[in-house]
Amino acid sequence: MPAQQSADIVVIGAGIVGALAARRLAQQGASVLMLEAGPRLESARIVAAFRNSPLKGNWMAPYPPSPWAPHPIYVPRDNGYLKQAGPYPYPAEYIRAVGGTTWHWAAQAWRLVPNDVRIKSLYGVGVDWPLSYEELDPWYQEAEEILGVAGADNTGSPRQHPFPMAPVAEPWSMRRVRERLAPTYAVVANTVARNSRSYGGRPACVGNNSCQPICPVNAQYLGINAVEAAEAAGAKVVPNAVVYRIEHDAKGRIAAVRYYAPDKSEHRVTGTTFILAANGIESPKLLLLSASSKYPNGLANSSGAVGRHLMDHPSTSLTFYADEELWLGRGPQSPSSINTLRDGAFRAQHAPYRLDFTNISQVLNVTNDLIKEGVYGAEFEKQLRWRAARQINVKNVLEVLPNPDNRITLSTEKDAMGIPKPEAHYAIDDYTRRAAEVSKADFARIAALMGGTGLRYSAEGQFANNQHITGTLSMGSDPASSVVDAFGRTHDHENLFVCGTGVMPTAATMNSTLTAVALALRTAEHILPAKQAAAADGREAGRA
Amino acid sequence: MALDESDSVAADRTDDPADASRRRLLAGLLTAYTASLIPWALAQPAPHAERGAFTALSAILVGRQALDGAQATRLYDALAAGNARFPAEVQALLSLIGERHIDPRQLQGVLDGEHSPLAPLPRQIMSAWFLGVVGGGGDARCVAYETALNAVVVADVLKPPTYAYGAYGSWSAKPNA
Repeated sequence: MPAQQSADIVVIGAGIVGALAARRLAQQGASVLMLEAGPRLESARIVAAFRNSPLKGNWMAPYPPSPWAPHPIYVPRDNGYLKQAGPYPYPAEYIRAVGGTTWHWAAQAWRLVPNDVRIKSLYGVGVDWPLSYEELDPWYQEAEEILGVAGADNTGSPRQHPFPMAPVAEPWSMRRVRERLAPTYAVVANTVARNSRSYGGRPACVGNNSCQPICPVNAQYLGINAVEAAEAAGAKVVPNAVVYRIEHDAKGRIAAVRYYAPDKSEHRVTGTTFILAANGIESPKLLLLSASSKYPNGLANSSGAVGRHLMDHPSTSLTFYADEELWLGRGPQSPSSINTLRDGAFRAQHAPYRLDFTNISQVLNVTNDLIKEGVYGAEFEKQLRWRAARQINVKNVLEVLPNPDNRITLSTEKDAMGIPKPEAHYAIDDYTRRAAEVSKADFARIAALMGGTGLRYSAEGQFANNQHITGTLSMGSDPASSVVDAFGRTHDHENLFVCGTGVMPTAATMNSTLTAVALALRTAEHILPAKQAAAADGREAGRA
Repeated sequence: MALDESDSVAADRTDDPADASRRRLLAGLLTAYTASLIPWALAQPAPHAERGAFTALSAILVGRQALDGAQATRLYDALAAGNARFPAEVQALLSLIGERHIDPRQLQGVLDGEHSPLAPLPRQIMSAWFLGVVGGGGDARCVAYETALNAVVVADVLKPPTYAYGAYGSWSAKPNA
């Protein structure tokens, strides 16, 4: 007999989204148990692992997968966890650990623009969301106050209440980009979960310029902060609990989940309500794995939509040398962007996009380039300084439309625990490719305004992935074409909810974490409405 | 540029008067041509020929006015540990440069053009000095980070990633203003 545990609410996945849903429910007095496949990590060890890593350009290197809960690794070689069915590779990266993938992120905490949720009605592409931007607004606000979001009002996303914090101080490099691109382009501060003052018991940014792979001072909000907040509210976390099956009863209600410990001992957890929050790849994998005689295509999958409509944000880019010294690498990594192309009538023809400027130190890339070029002698140091001072990069962040053929399925290969690996089926369609083509004119204009030389466009037809896994558990009003309703409840199982970026029916152009958190808070409210006083306390705690 | 204070460690070791062989200077390992490339280095101690050749070749490739002695020892040991032929290859390349008066700017082209077995060597040494990384692929090792030369040569403007730049907002000022 497997060991038994029980809770009112069982949350599968202890990342930022699941943990903030757990926190809110625990604050309402529910007993909450969070099951996380990966181990508990320590910030200081991650910092040390990065400093000692020979792969400084690979931000997954400080996060080696555990044998019992592997995640995809591609450098120095593919560990073969996320199988690729093609036709286009989808090398997603994520972290299976307590705290999840926001251990390393750029802390981009963007709202959508209102029209993002109505692209079918307005532009005849994609699908409409089953809720409006106005309905999301208060949940965005609550999420922003918990995470501690710094931002400005000129990014195209309306709001009813002020940001918790003023924008983070602008690096010199981004100031010069903003000044030189005006008035052709409006360069604005990114909306980020990064402290521009002490907030939530965490310090203001001190410019470590390693937001990815790890913020050593916790000036940016991390998933582990969400987990700790959930624990403070009374939630329990079980690390190294690899859920491999969700069980239902004769009526189709979820009765329990089963997990393996690393020694493959079996455990069973019963509960009243279940929240699946294991990310846009692991969550559909688990639903598909839980197929039964009653649900032969997997749980929550009467529509056949589980795993389908996989989306992300592909990017093409331009790297060049500006005609003045900018010295990227002072301050946070991703401070500024151009937001004017996030929406417009053109969305009927091609994808919208954001144009994003990196402020990541160019020293590593420039050093690698010079070594590759075989430059020796005094010229090396001279070139290193010249290039590191002037090299700059702009990329687009392109919308991908929901396409049922882009999907996560179960591979025939199994991991070390005997659990089938996920398999990605992915393609980038002409709607997105046309936008990449259009944005090349923006790249060229930006380079010209910066006095650019040595222009290097990313290879034709090649897209970098942004690890914004979206859409595999889409929400919608129609149970025939979607997995969950507007509150995250699965159409097929009354007590099974899904939280995470996977529920987003379209990907828009913005990093998806804040939207997923906002939706998860809304789901938590739907499961167990907050008492008014408790909700106010929660906001005060966030501000402390 | 001044020698790093960690050089004093190497200097203490090599100045031991009881061991005359350690008093040999790098100049003794060089031809007139290679000596002309690194005049500043001629008085650097060369505890033995193999390490001395590595210091001399490093100086030519890196093109700096000084090299940290302790770092040189660490990098040499790491490179030699990964490749038993490394000491001989270093001496061979140093001799080749000296005998044929190869300009560092032309070096890689010459080695590649002649399909020389020494062709990978300069990049291995540069990677060690500038990235602090020895070896490749799954065998790569990090032996230096903050003291890798790509951090050192921009230290007046940047901190290596994970090190705090400074007080909040200090990055808004013009660099080197």
